[in-house]
Amino acid sequence: MVKVFVNGVEVEVDSTSTILKAAEKAGISIPTFCYHPRMDPAGSCRICAVELEDSKRVVMSCVTPVSEGMRILTESAKVADARKTNLELLLLHHPLDCPVCDCGGECPLQNMSFSYGASDSRFESHRNDEVEDIKSDVLVFNSNRCILCGKCVRICDEVQDVHAIGFINRGFDTVIGPPLGKKLDCEFCGDCLEVCPTGAITDKFVRYQYRPWQLEKTKTTCTYCSSGCQMNVETEKEAIIRVTSSEGEGPNEGSICAIGRFGFSHVQSTERLNKPYARSFSRLVPTEWDFLIPELSEKLRAIVSTGPDRIATLVSPRIPMEDAYLIQGFTRRVLRSNYIDSGARYGFMNAAFPIAKSTGTLRPMVDHQDLLKAKVILVIGADPTAESNITGLFLKRAIRKEKARMYYVGSESVSITARAKDHIRVLPGGEGLFSWVLSEEISCQESGRHPEFLSRKEELFKSFNVDPQAYTRLVQDLREAQTAVIITGRVFHRLQFAYDAMESLIRMSHALGWIERDGCGILPLPETGNDLGVLMMGATYEWLPGLLDSQDSDNKKRWESTWGEPLSYGKGGGLREILEGINSGAIKGLISFGENPLSHFSPQSGVREILSKLDLLVSVDLFQTSLSDQAHYLLPAASSYERSGHVVSVEGFVQSLNPAMTYWGESLSDGEIVSRLSECMGHPVSSRLTSDVSKEIFTLMPDLSPSTRNGEHFMGPTGNLILPEVVSQPPHKADRNSVASRLSEKTKSVLSPIFPESIPGEGEFVFALNKSLFHSGKMTLLDTSLMKMESSALVRINRQTAKKLKIKKNEMVLIENSYGSCTLPVELTSGVTENELQVPYHFDSPDLLGLFPRELKYSGPCSTVTMLRTRVSLKKIE
Amino acid sequence: MSQTKHIEVDQDFIENLCDEFGNREGTVVQILQRIQEKYGYVPADALDMIGEYLEIPKSKMYGVLTFYSQFYREPRGKYVLKICVGTACHVRGAGLLVDKVKEELKIEPGENTEDMLFTLEPVSCLGSCALAPMAMVTDTAYGKLSPDKMLGLIKDLESEHLSASEPA
Repeated sequence: MVKVFVNGVEVEVDSTSTILKAAEKAGISIPTFCYHPRMDPAGSCRICAVELEDSKRVVMSCVTPVSEGMRILTESAKVADARKTNLELLLLHHPLDCPVCDCGGECPLQNMSFSYGASDSRFESHRNDEVEDIKSDVLVFNSNRCILCGKCVRICDEVQDVHAIGFINRGFDTVIGPPLGKKLDCEFCGDCLEVCPTGAITDKFVRYQYRPWQLEKTKTTCTYCSSGCQMNVETEKEAIIRVTSSEGEGPNEGSICAIGRFGFSHVQSTERLNKPYARSFSRLVPTEWDFLIPELSEKLRAIVSTGPDRIATLVSPRIPMEDAYLIQGFTRRVLRSNYIDSGARYGFMNAAFPIAKSTGTLRPMVDHQDLLKAKVILVIGADPTAESNITGLFLKRAIRKEKARMYYVGSESVSITARAKDHIRVLPGGEGLFSWVLSEEISCQESGRHPEFLSRKEELFKSFNVDPQAYTRLVQDLREAQTAVIITGRVFHRLQFAYDAMESLIRMSHALGWIERDGCGILPLPETGNDLGVLMMGATYEWLPGLLDSQDSDNKKRWESTWGEPLSYGKGGGLREILEGINSGAIKGLISFGENPLSHFSPQSGVREILSKLDLLVSVDLFQTSLSDQAHYLLPAASSYERSGHVVSVEGFVQSLNPAMTYWGESLSDGEIVSRLSECMGHPVSSRLTSDVSKEIFTLMPDLSPSTRNGEHFMGPTGNLILPEVVSQPPHKADRNSVASRLSEKTKSVLSPIFPESIPGEGEFVFALNKSLFHSGKMTLLDTSLMKMESSALVRINRQTAKKLKIKKNEMVLIENSYGSCTLPVELTSGVTENELQVPYHFDSPDLLGLFPRELKYSGPCSTVTMLRTRVSLKKIE
Repeated sequence: MSQTKHIEVDQDFIENLCDEFGNREGTVVQILQRIQEKYGYVPADALDMIGEYLEIPKSKMYGVLTFYSQFYREPRGKYVLKICVGTACHVRGAGLLVDKVKEELKIEPGENTEDMLFTLEPVSCLGSCALAPMAMVTDTAYGKLSPDKMLGLIKDLESEHLSASEPA
């Protein structure tokens, strides 16, 4: 530690600290353009100049380290003069077109020029007069306004690791842009737009449409994926204009992905349902809530009166905890049914259930900070950048800055695989077997291993092309690492034997002593924004709120006393049991809150016919979906930009949603619809206010009280702190002691081997559905901005395979099997194995699900519906 | 100025080159130089290929490519007429040489002739001021030039090209 004086104020700072940091500690602000806390200092803009009192020298505070007894002046006459001159140089090419610039009003360059009185430049020189680069659909580059601070280039390199833009030319002619004069082609995270201190990079979607000071900012949480990004939704007259982030705030620390930043136009599209509809003579006709609620209640009451477990509910994993809590309460108390399920059944349950069963919690053992401390990171069957963007960013940072050794296990290459120490390629279908072999190798002594261990391991190397040396390195590293994290994702959770594979990993982490050791653990990535929250709230047949076994009589009693009425639901079930129940006629009614089972099965699977047997089908959604054709009632739901509540992030943070707009048309939140129905059916709710429901949840489950990263930044819509006492926020991670005591009795020591899926034969291909970086579910297909980034499905084919079949880029291919066929244009990549085809699952046409088996297939003890891979043949269309 | 079609880059050549240098710090300049040696300029396709093979971001390579004036992004003529316009050559009439070439070949500095035989490229100094005014074509230096000598040089190069392209 060294002592320095900033404007006479004495502060003690670390000896490696810079003057800028020391000043910050002393509470003195120094202006900066090129400095960014998450990136290496560049020292290029020269605006952070300060004077050293002793040597009378002017130095750049962002790159100069402190020394003992240093006396720093941040606002002397010499400093002001230096800054003014620097500003004149920065303004050399600047067109001073603030009145038409989107940045005007929130522009650091404008503010600084105003402060130092250098609104024009004395220097006369060759002035750049480049035309704007408007080739991209997303961002506009105006190099004349650019001060070449390089923040955009650096955030793209250092934080996003995308390297989409760079410096072009030299000296006076330097500009910033994408290479080769082409259209910008990147992940469109918009972080460069966010950090640009001038109007050099602007948002093409809303160019010239707003003035920053007229926008109303609402801080809220993004619900597309589970990263839990804190974002500012900026509105004008009840319309969202743009989404921005604040540096350092929340788990995302100021970064947001393409979907979060640009994907909001669909919620204000004319396609939104703005009125409730009821079916009358085979047509859906608009109606009023005041007629609809009593009518629907009556119908529900009639079905309930015939016995328990007659009505089922499905819950979208994007809705806040409060709504999920109300829906499950409504289902169990009022509808007397335990047929309730959520979208977590489409894969994530395969991770959530074994984890919750053995550890007693869904809070993760590790968070993003632990990724930065981890020596070894194993990513298996996941694409963190697409599935949980911020996890991806921290992973990149862990590799780049902290030198973590990352092993990537999977068939395909994703953006992070290039950074892996070893990319252990497993042919599609072998990931489950890999987990079992790895777990058996590490967890058991040689004598205690399963008799099939050696032959299975051999199979992994021989049939699934796993590199034995890379495998050995991974085993060695996992055994020796003091801190290690395993990340599992969508592909892993949707494997045929995902449940068993997850059990294998849990056993392995137990055997390695990870449970007791801080910084070690498994981080499963949920697929949507609040998978964890809806499961914790009991919106699944297995659990009552708090992950309590719903069939256990003590648990039932506990909730009976809380709710003050007896619970008489039966065994119930998830999606599989619900469809079977409807088919057999045992279930008469289905209410779907933002879920659509039709979009998760093959169109020939007969789900539509099963649903047609229902006496009552209610669909609560933002839009008309394929389910609406069959619904008896179609109710408009509020979007996450309009409602309040809390969602649980991948790291276990419980963060709040705040409404940026009023409810769209006559839409209501799912919780309010349920409360009204509940009241009408003679089960009054204590309060309709979401805030009261939150209070109830936090009182009953105090460990779920709000928490966030960098809470000190977190301000509410009116500027008040949402977390009154940041320091006392509950831990977001699992409690290691309670997990350890539970796990020792719950882990199975012997796990039977996982069977791999068969290897595709000659001319056969594995057809895999993956998640796109620019879409989230099917809802974003109505988003005009995101559709500009990716508008239709392309099939990714291995370059070598394409060469063999003489297929060129963008040519159409015919993909078919005994179930169906489709034609798609081709994208060539070296990123998939030679017998694999990959297509984003989001798009409705062509009919991708038609290539999947027609029978209703469920996998594992949780009966999940996965729809990940099928077998096809491939032909070029001449 | 003539715009000729960009040539097709040989994938094997690029891959061999990449294997030779590998993805290490500071290899980009050498790789680009070797490509320019072969093709006379650095085709955009080559950047794509290197980028994919060595996983060096294209934005970084393009930055290097545009930073150094030694690299060309457009095809150039068979003979690049590098005419020195540095101080010594300027004083001794380099401007007249440039004007002569412009007039004779109907091209501006930096441009190619339509038949892709010549490129006019005024340079700052070739380091042999004693021979001023001077020019350099491929690896040969020509000193103490005059506009007439320049014209003769062009004719010589033309006939050299013709005899080289005639069947033996």
